[in-house]
Amino acid sequence: MSYITGPEIVKYACTCGLLKPLPELYFCRHCSQIRCSFCLCHAVDSFFCGKCSENIPSAEARHKKNRCANCVICPSCQQELSTRVASKGPINPDDAKSAVKKSYYLSCHFCHWTSRDVGIPDQPSATGCWPERENVHINRLQEVLDVYQDIMLSQQQQKENSKKKRGKFVSYTDRTGVTASALRRRIGIPDIPHAKIKKPKPLDPAIAKSEVEELPEDIFTEPLKLMEITTIDQRLMQPESQPLTVDKLFPIHKQLTIKRSLRCRTCEHNVCKPEYNPTSVKFKIQLFAYYYIPEIRFVTVEPLRAGQTSELIIKFTNPTQHQTTITIFDLDLEEQEKYVEEQKLFDIIDNFEQAMSLEEKQQLSLPSLVMSSGSQPSSMYSLQSRQPSVIVKPRKINQAVNCNVAIPESTFILPPRDDAAEYDDSSDVHNIEDDPKLVKWRKSNKAFIKLAVTPAADLKIDDEVVCGFTMQHIYTNVIPAIVENMPHKYDHKVRVFFRLGKIVGSE
Amino acid sequence: MQRNNIKVIPGALVCEESKLRGDITIGAGTIIHPNASIIAEAGPIIIGENCLIEEQVKIIHRLPFDQQNKDTTPVLIIGSHNVFEVDCTVEAPKIGNHNVFESKCFVGNKVTVSNGCIIGAGCKVTEEQILKENICIFGSNCQMRECIDKPAVSTRKQLLLI
Ligand SMILES: [Zn+2]
Ligand SMILES: [Zn+2]
Ligand SMILES: [Zn+2]
Ligand SMILES: [Zn+2]
Repeated sequence: MSYITGPEIVKYACTCGLLKPLPELYFCRHCSQIRCSFCLCHAVDSFFCGKCSENIPSAEARHKKNRCANCVICPSCQQELSTRVASKGPINPDDAKSAVKKSYYLSCHFCHWTSRDVGIPDQPSATGCWPERENVHINRLQEVLDVYQDIMLSQQQQKENSKKKRGKFVSYTDRTGVTASALRRRIGIPDIPHAKIKKPKPLDPAIAKSEVEELPEDIFTEPLKLMEITTIDQRLMQPESQPLTVDKLFPIHKQLTIKRSLRCRTCEHNVCKPEYNPTSVKFKIQLFAYYYIPEIRFVTVEPLRAGQTSELIIKFTNPTQHQTTITIFDLDLEEQEKYVEEQKLFDIIDNFEQAMSLEEKQQLSLPSLVMSSGSQPSSMYSLQSRQPSVIVKPRKINQAVNCNVAIPESTFILPPRDDAAEYDDSSDVHNIEDDPKLVKWRKSNKAFIKLAVTPAADLKIDDEVVCGFTMQHIYTNVIPAIVENMPHKYDHKVRVFFRLGKIVGSE
Repeated sequence: MQRNNIKVIPGALVCEESKLRGDITIGAGTIIHPNASIIAEAGPIIIGENCLIEEQVKIIHRLPFDQQNKDTTPVLIIGSHNVFEVDCTVEAPKIGNHNVFESKCFVGNKVTVSNGCIIGAGCKVTEEQILKENICIFGSNCQMRECIDKPAVSTRKQLLLI
């Protein structure tokens, strides 16, 4: 769809103040607010291999350095390698009936690199235990890793011993996974102190050398053979060996892909949750703004001249199953600024209160946390996905507007989406009373709207013209649990910005 | 307008719907699919044995501007076991054996192709050069590498088609 929405002509303002095109936005049904990837909490749901579609538990993924054990990619072009059969003659040449001995090698369909190119012997089985190359620095790396692990453990214990927890949530995870003592506390077993609280043993530091080997004599005389030298990309794909010449390239294990879920930072509800199965491209929860907020597309605009009024035509589409009424208001960026200031003030008050009743709050938040995670499929799962929540503070919308939009006096109705209408030409009649000055044409759930835009008088030729307005639409809430104590329908406002194009010369 | 002079050696398969213009000789075992066009504009084209020329392939014998208006008529010789995949355009003045021109690739009229080369799908080669043996061009940036393993596709593909 990016070819339609890709050129970022129409942008919507997220609640946090960032401008994004509609397909990149989410809509939290619980807060009834627009959210973008910046103001949502991201969590890794599952790891899987994009080639063999195998689901890999996160502990195993961590152990295997986030790579698939079975699939390999081409070291030359980074595409997936496939196994090829190379049949050698029969095992017993005298006996015509004896089975043909088969052997297998890896080959890239894209750049025609094969495992034979670098002298990897053919394997007798298709799944092939392809030889791994030893890393010459493995011992040193392991030492460094071990020491790092020790340092982290001792820091962890210090933190737990000092008992002082800040913030609303307890972090159950760290860089080494779920900590044992956090788990203990969660299931109610008293925390036993670790037997080995040891000081991390210092490591021999790496020594910097100023003498380096002289360049070989022939480097200036021998002609360069570009065909034998690896590219930067190829070297960086194998950071442990960084081969200089192509004959040292080795198949690389394919990196795993993740599925992630997105959570609203304000209400802790999921706005996007994929299905666990790697082969499924569906979602359990997908609150994309595209399904809730009317989509606006730029249709056409008369040539823009500084200080002169042009006609702008835009198309509104109602994506929901409910009729909505759209009203266009002034952009009113000052109001947004005020809102940002207000939120800052709230924040200061919040922080103050939090400081006052830190102990009290913590006791309150723990049981509620257990309750909310009870609805999750597995409790381990929620442990991993829960991260300390940080509320993103809204910011001022950073977009200058240099074109005035004449705000229409009337509103217009968008009928609900009807998938069948696409194929039905007869039902083009509608009995909606429209203001002919505003609505140019309509079909099923779409309406084409005329607006008068006037670029600022001081603009020069080739200046980019940006205009905007606030769109108010009636949002129908359909979550049954919430409907009872919340209004069923209410007005939702969103600021929309248009890049209309450039100022052209006078007639 | 020159007369068409097409010579098809027995054993070759040339579809009626293919577009052949000028002086063309087609070797035994070569298959020309419908809608392929071979245009001998600047001089005769001689296609070797067991070549495969697929749909919408354009093989054009056209000289660069600076070499036109010469007295001698150059001959475009295409070797044996070459594969021209769907919708590739080849204007090379000389083509050896066992080359593969993948789909939608473009080879300009200043590029001489030797033996065992693979021009990857969508790659455009226009700069004046001689492609050495077993060169493989691939990717959106037309990266070049030397193939050690010979492509064995051509013969297998033809067997499947017959
Ligand atoms: Zn946001
Ligand atoms: Zn895999
Ligand atoms: Zn490759
Ligand atoms: Zn929310």
